[in-house]
Amino acid sequence: MKTSGKVTAEKVQKIRESKKFSVRSQNLPTWCPGCGYFGIHQGINNAIQELEIPHHMVMVVSGIGCAGRYPFFSNTYGLHAAHGRSLPVATGVKLANPDLTVLAVGGDGDGLGIGGAHLPHAARKDININYVLFDNSIYGLTKGQPSPSTPPGTKTKASPYGSEGATLNGTLMALSYGASFVARLFAGDPESITAALKEGIRHEGFSIYHVYTSCVTFDKQFKTWTNLKKNIHPLPDSHDPTNLKEAMNVVLEDDFAMGIVYRRY
Amino acid sequence: MSSIDLTIEICGMSGDGTIAAGLLLNEALSAAGFSLMALDSYPAEIRGFGRCVTRTRISNKEMTALSHKTNVLISLDDEQSRSRVPFLTEDAVILFDNRPVVYIGEDKALLPLLEPEMNIFGIPFGDLASQASGSRRGKNLAALGGFAALFGIPAEPFYAAIKKKFQAKGEKVLDANLKCFDAGMEFGARTYKNKLQKIIQPGTNGVSSEKQLVSGNVAVSTAAIDAGLALYFGYPITPATPIMEHLARYLPEKGGKIMQMEDEISSIGGVLGSYFAGKRAMTATSGPGFALMTELIAHATVTEIPAVIINAQRGGPATGLPTKTEQSDLQAAVFGGPGDSARIVIAPSNVNECYYFTLKSFQLAERYQTPVIVLTDFFLNNRVENIDPLKAPEGDIKDGNILPDESKKDKYLRYENTETGISPRALPGMEGYIFASTGLEHTEKGVPDYTAQIHMMMSEKRHRKIMNALKDLPEPKEYDPEDEYDIGIIAWGSTSGAAIEAAGLARERGIKAGMLKIGSIFPYHAEKIKAFMNKCDEILIPELNFEGQLANLTGHLHRKEVRRFNRVTGVPMTAVEILEAIEDIVSRRSHQ
Repeated sequence: MKTSGKVTAEKVQKIRESKKFSVRSQNLPTWCPGCGYFGIHQGINNAIQELEIPHHMVMVVSGIGCAGRYPFFSNTYGLHAAHGRSLPVATGVKLANPDLTVLAVGGDGDGLGIGGAHLPHAARKDININYVLFDNSIYGLTKGQPSPSTPPGTKTKASPYGSEGATLNGTLMALSYGASFVARLFAGDPESITAALKEGIRHEGFSIYHVYTSCVTFDKQFKTWTNLKKNIHPLPDSHDPTNLKEAMNVVLEDDFAMGIVYRRY
Repeated sequence: MSSIDLTIEICGMSGDGTIAAGLLLNEALSAAGFSLMALDSYPAEIRGFGRCVTRTRISNKEMTALSHKTNVLISLDDEQSRSRVPFLTEDAVILFDNRPVVYIGEDKALLPLLEPEMNIFGIPFGDLASQASGSRRGKNLAALGGFAALFGIPAEPFYAAIKKKFQAKGEKVLDANLKCFDAGMEFGARTYKNKLQKIIQPGTNGVSSEKQLVSGNVAVSTAAIDAGLALYFGYPITPATPIMEHLARYLPEKGGKIMQMEDEISSIGGVLGSYFAGKRAMTATSGPGFALMTELIAHATVTEIPAVIINAQRGGPATGLPTKTEQSDLQAAVFGGPGDSARIVIAPSNVNECYYFTLKSFQLAERYQTPVIVLTDFFLNNRVENIDPLKAPEGDIKDGNILPDESKKDKYLRYENTETGISPRALPGMEGYIFASTGLEHTEKGVPDYTAQIHMMMSEKRHRKIMNALKDLPEPKEYDPEDEYDIGIIAWGSTSGAAIEAAGLARERGIKAGMLKIGSIFPYHAEKIKAFMNKCDEILIPELNFEGQLANLTGHLHRKEVRRFNRVTGVPMTAVEILEAIEDIVSRRSHQ
């Protein structure tokens, strides 16, 4: 994926007008140039377009963080909720109006840190919402502190002697919490995000998309584009996504196998 | 017709069936046509060795509070009942088990503590139950039978109450309970036939038999159902849990749904999501849970999302006193949360208002696009009163949503700065009104903006909106108004009832006392409160909190320092306590 290049006013206008990108809002994303979130944004937008869901029937709920700003960059209904609270709010929206396609979005700090108590319950209750977890393993908006998915020993301003604690594995957590649709994806591959979302949005239950992405500004060591691109590979063709044990095994053994890991039905 | 005003206590060890007996007593006395107010207290521990006490006050007049003294004590356990002796009137009637299953030593017995002037009736509750049903478990029923006999209350209302409670448990259980009751009644009538107390004639007690026995919790829950509640989100916490349990049982049949959440944060989160999508939702909690909600409550004030939150206060701070009553969340309700986050806070003062305030809160939340906090407390939630049938007025339940009109399509400003501060609110699914809301400061369109101009304008808009809500909020009520008072009492919530009674008692003693009840805590009716204060030389604000939270909020309206009367005893304030405070202030004034 091309991640650099000067964005001219002309280009912006073109993007705005193109049908393909009409889910984009008039507000330009505030993410840093080269941020993986652009790829996720594109993946989500294309899924909504290709499924031909009217934009006013889509609702995006976000938490706080770089991903929290998402609703402003999406020409859909949106609510930028409090830090970590996208899932319970999205639950309320979906129960109140089941006709809406409801997305919850947020980063690893938002979803695995402050909001970590909500994932098990949205998953086990199988609420029919789509949770896109933007995992760049760093607190970006607050300028680079270690997150729950940062590998131990990572040096940041808040961990000058190396961060502590094991790395949370969002995909494995979702599987063990009973999520009925689990995908692990790569921000550098928007097409696969679109493909997974098209499956997951149609799935009548809780869908989680654990997206590996890069923070080009604050992570120069771990989830860099170079590292991610080098390691990412699709799940083996033989992978049976209906088999929970197999799904858990593959996730335990391989941190970088991407695709639809599990779907219960 | 002579005046009847009796407080009856049943006291036992947990497991004695004390609470069950209290429930039957309340049902029967309500059916017999009395005004009634009752409250149980029980240990926090599930199977602890705790004391259970039920207090029931009955009268043939309207009443607003529990009394401070007990006229009748039904003791199911001597040792536990010893603690109740200081609360007995000089001529109290005591019923106790005079043939307990084990010998009770002098140090644990009730009798040695009682005064000779008292009317003491030994009835072998356990033995009678055992003879009647083969088990001593029915001793609580035998005790009720004895009580009915001594006070000349016919068996019928008791039979009806027993049937209502035990019918579902099968013929055998019901029959055993009826037999135990009969055994107690027969023994009482036979043994003490020359010592029968005041004869109470049902139907002549001056209170409508239409009245229903309702608790604060049931009133709140029923109001939510009547308001068309679609979704309830909650997390178990004493004393709010019965609301969730009641709704879990009755909401589905009305097409609604409850969802027990993982914590109070997700509970309020669910409520906001539901309201954002246009459906009425509610959560109920108590202090510690409310504290967790404050971030999202403040969020809802700035995103202007409706929400209904019941805060059933208990003793605080922190975990505090979970099963005790207190009014110490006023400040948290009004101010809790980051920033200038004005919201509506109303406080019912009796079971009736628990219903009507909750009912109204749904409409207020929609109309003013704000969280509405209904402040109740342990006493209010758990007490029962017999009240007129609850009926939702048409106007109070109708949809309060203000939707944008067609002309705004495709150029919709979600946070348009209108004259009233109310910006018509579109709902997801409406075509042509797409917007996103944020907890960040934002423009009229809803886009984040941190400029001074926007923050000033939007802060002012939100506060103007909340202050404008005052006209729809419950007005302060002055009881028996006069032109001037030596002392004016201002009370809120469950303490109001005792304050009303105290003002009445003070007047009987020749003190010119006024009483103002405040139902809307925020915003509050400053002009009306001030007008009352201006008629009073002294202002006394009795509250069940240590800091004087209503006094802190409104005391500045008086031209001089208000007097505070603060108690954190965990039990409801009584009229006599407030009366003493009144007399103290008045006597000190006259000695000046």
